[in-house]
Order: sequence, then C-alpha cells, then structure tokens
Amino acid sequence: MSNKIDVDDELIRKLAGIMDETGLTEIELGSETYSVRVARGGTVVNAMAPTAVAPASVASASVPPVDIAQNITDHPGVVTSPMVGVAYTASEPGQPAFVNVGDTVSEGQVVLLIEAMKVFNQIKAPRGGTVKNIMIESGAPVEFGEPLMIIE
Amino acid sequence: MFDKVLIANRGEIALRILRACREMGIKTVAVHSTADETAMHVRLADEAVCLGPPAAKDSYLNIAAILTAAQISGADAIHPGYGFLSENAEFARMVEEHGFVFIGPTHEHITLMGDKIAAKDAVMKAGIPVVPGSDGGVSTFEDAKTVAERIGYPVIIKATAGGGGRGMKMAPTADDLETAFRTARSEAGSVFGNPEVYIEKFLTTPRHIEIQVLADNHGNVVHLGERDCSLQRRHQKVLEEAPSPALNAEQRSKIGDIAAKAIQKIGYRSAGTIEFLFEDGEFYFIEMNTRLQVEHPITEMITRIDLVREMIRIAAGAPLGYDQKDITFLGHSIECRINAEDPETFMPCPGKIGLYHTPGGLGVRVDSGLYSGYTVPPYYDSMIAKLIVHGTNRNECLMRLRRALDEYVIDGLKTTIPLHAKLASNADIVNGDYDIHWLEKFMDDESN
Repeated sequence: MSNKIDVDDELIRKLAGIMDETGLTEIELGSETYSVRVARGGTVVNAMAPTAVAPASVASASVPPVDIAQNITDHPGVVTSPMVGVAYTASEPGQPAFVNVGDTVSEGQVVLLIEAMKVFNQIKAPRGGTVKNIMIESGAPVEFGEPLMIIE
Repeated sequence: MFDKVLIANRGEIALRILRACREMGIKTVAVHSTADETAMHVRLADEAVCLGPPAAKDSYLNIAAILTAAQISGADAIHPGYGFLSENAEFARMVEEHGFVFIGPTHEHITLMGDKIAAKDAVMKAGIPVVPGSDGGVSTFEDAKTVAERIGYPVIIKATAGGGGRGMKMAPTADDLETAFRTARSEAGSVFGNPEVYIEKFLTTPRHIEIQVLADNHGNVVHLGERDCSLQRRHQKVLEEAPSPALNAEQRSKIGDIAAKAIQKIGYRSAGTIEFLFEDGEFYFIEMNTRLQVEHPITEMITRIDLVREMIRIAAGAPLGYDQKDITFLGHSIECRINAEDPETFMPCPGKIGLYHTPGGLGVRVDSGLYSGYTVPPYYDSMIAKLIVHGTNRNECLMRLRRALDEYVIDGLKTTIPLHAKLASNADIVNGDYDIHWLEKFMDDESN
C-alpha cells in the first residue's frame, strides 16, 4: 500500500522566500488538518511550550506567519484596529473605496468602516500622509490591534 | 452538540473550559486582551480574537466586543467561566438575543439570585432554611428591637444596598442595639446612598458549606455534595475541601436533597451553588451563585463528574442521563488556591516565571495556565494556579497535599505555596476544627 505524503512544495517555496526577504530563521504555521515548519539550518531556538501551534487568527483569510505580523505592527505608520468587527473599505457595496494605495490623506479623513453589532464605526486617519499599504480586504473580520493600513 | 464554543474568560478557567471542549471535539475560540496574547489557552485554542487593551472593561467585560467576536468566528455558544460577565444577567440575555447559547442559567435566574433580598425570599419559599431575620427593611429602632428580641442576640444589622462585607454592624446584646442600629443607618445612607437596613441573626463561629447542584433543561436535578470553604481571608476563599469534615452522611443527604428540590422548584438549569453558613448542626442560606465556581474541581474529584462538560451538555439540550442514586462520593479532595502574592503580606507579585515544575503522581491535579517563561500580567486577580489533590480518605489526602506542595516549583515570583504548606500541617486543620474566622486569626497570630 502506498504511503505517499503530499508535499505542497509551492507553500514551502513561498515560506522559504518569505524567510529570505525578512531574515527570519524559522516559520511555523498550521490549521486543523496540517502543520508546517520551515527552518534555516543551524540551532533552532525553542520557545516555551513546544508543541503549541500558533492559533489561526480569525481575522485573516489565509494563515499569516505570526512573526511577520509582529513586524508590521511595529511599523511607525501602521493604523491598527481599535475594535473587534468587520472592516469595509467603502461606504457601501459597489461604491468606490474610501482610499486606495498611493492616495494622500489628511488627518481625520475616513479611511475605513468597522462594523460591530450592526453599528458602523468610522475609522479615521490618525495622521496625514500617503497610503502605503492596505492589509485587509473589504468584509474581513478584524480584531483589536490588527494592522489595517500603513499611512506615512 | 455545539460545533464551536467561545470562551469568554482568561487564566486557568479559560484553559479548563478549553480542555473540556477539546475532549468533546468542540472547536474553541479564545477571546483575550492584549495582555493575554501569550496565555496558554490562547495558544492552544483553534482561533483567537483580541478584544482590546488590558483593562477588563475594554476586554473581558466588553460585551460588544465579545458578541462581535462570537459573530465573526461563527461560535454557537459562549461559556462565561466565573467572575467577569458570568453573573451579568444583561450579558446572558444579549448572548441569547444574538443567537448564541449562553452556557449557564437563564438571565432571569441570574437576576433573581443577584438580588439578595429577592433571592432569600425565593429560596425560603422553595424550602431552603435561611438566617432568621427581619424579612425586609427595618426603619425604626422600635421595630429593630422587636425583631432582635424575636430572633435572639447577637444580631447583625446589614445595609440593603451594601455587600462584600461592608455596611454591617454587630449588636452583641440588647444594650448595643440602639447605637448599632442608628450608626448602621447613617453609614448606609452616606456610603451607599440608601439608609435602608435589615437585621439578621449573627452566627459567631459558623462554617461556610456550599452545595453543588446540576440541572438540565428537562427538569432533572442532582446535587453533587458539599464543599467546605470556611478558610477565607477577607471573604476570599483560600483552601477548600470536599466532603466537609463537619458533616455526616445523614446531614449531607438531607441538605443536598433540600437544595436539589428547591432548584427543581424554581426551574433552574445548569450548574449552580447554594452557599450556607452552618452552625450548631443548622444550615442557613446566604446566597446562590449562578455560575461555575473556582473550587469546582474538588467536587469533580470525589464524584468523577466533569462539571464543565456537563454544563456544555446541558446547554446543548442533553438530559443529565443520571439521577441522584447514581451519584456516589469516593474519597476526599482538597484544593489550594495559589496566588502570586507574598505569603505573609499578600502583596500581589506579578512577574515572569522562571523554573516551573508541577507536582505529579496519583491523585494530584494542577489547574493552571502557567508555564516556564510566561509573564503573569499585573492587571487581573492574583490567583495563578489551583493545586487539587484526592485521596481515599482525609488523612491520605492531607499527606498527599503536603507531598505535592513540597514538589511544586514556581520560580521568579512569590506565591502563597508556603502558606498552604503551613495550613496542611496545622493541627486545627488536620483535625478539621476550623470556622470562617479561623484563617484571619491564624494570620494575625503569625504576624505577631
């Protein structure tokens, strides 16, 4: 009986590429059905409780490596979510997005909506600048502290 | 059965709930504050949602955030643990209104038992013995005198709007009544904004004995015996044991049946605990807790019933599947609440855990979210672990407790393990000879 294991080599290459870009030495991620760990050769520093896999953050469509998310959260221009909810990039479906990457925004300008308990909350730019990156898709669930966009 | 449960709590109880869910094949959602990102239950959960910054009001008490987290994660049910929102009737009501199942009693019962006077009235009508008292507010000294003479001195005058041990004045004899009464009223007026007081018989050396009950949605109720929680400091329980060394089988069975019948009569569902003061062979109702309690493990050890699993099963509509004759009590169990505090001054000592080693062996259980390298955050209460031991009898249990406390290593911060070690070899404790004032007297003696 064949015991062939399916290797998702595209995923492994992608993870390896991420490690190169960011200088990380190890990435581990998983879900209910699988878990993957890639590590650059050499000693791997084991953190605390060894077998705990990082829980899938509800707010992401795919499963992002935890370490990368930390880097983005530390970015000086990052705008993080002040609440739990569902983020929308436009005022209504079919309407143009509040902002696009590359736009200049002023402090206080509405850049997103986050809906919770049927109430839509306006998320305003904390500073003026250029929108460098939008990390979430419209309709994505977000948690407190989740990086939404980068404005600098 | 639920597919996914959201755990609306933190610390050891969140881990406890997670474990029960996992054993039932239920997916888990851990909601947490930023301070708890590295908590063990958050790491083990299938999904995690950060609710807000550390302050409880922004996170664990943040109803909107918790309900939204339930919505976005697609949870079916919410377990509130203990403390935080577990006895918040508004929360329970909103959970159900938003289409989730609240793993606990109905919001109506939470409301009923949250009102001290209404609760006392309801249980009294259901046959539960209560502390003899004024049955309502007392407004004149003449009325106070009449009540006090009827119930007998000493009496205690309590503020209706008070609580947590505050707003109470004792009158040992008839000569002390007038001063006590008038002072109580004026203090209640200025501190609580409501001068109304009621009077109860004052019990001088009672034990705190509580009965665990479990009720399903189909009218089936059982009691799971008692827990003796007399060892308290400032109304916080420190060490608990089951069964109580002060009760015999007949007393246990009698009060258990009274409690179970009352629960059935009021139509309560889920887990609940009825707390009594016990003095001179008599039980007096103090209050009912409509939630899972911290000390539930000692009941689990002697009955071999998983209380969290039963709460989940009941909430999902399952019948108990057993009745009172199926409940058997085996052996003896003791729990020590271990706090990150100086064992003498009780000053909180949060910090980073260095070397961590839990005791093991037959009959030893540790309920804790701690691990080596974990940092205990300073924002929440100081209980960091529960050490629970079981033995075939009380003596064996005490020996095992001493042995387990000796093995337990929590480096990096101060804990109350040394206090528990003292208690576990203290003559009065070993003899089961203590009441609700014992521990504070012991601490006073120790510091002199």
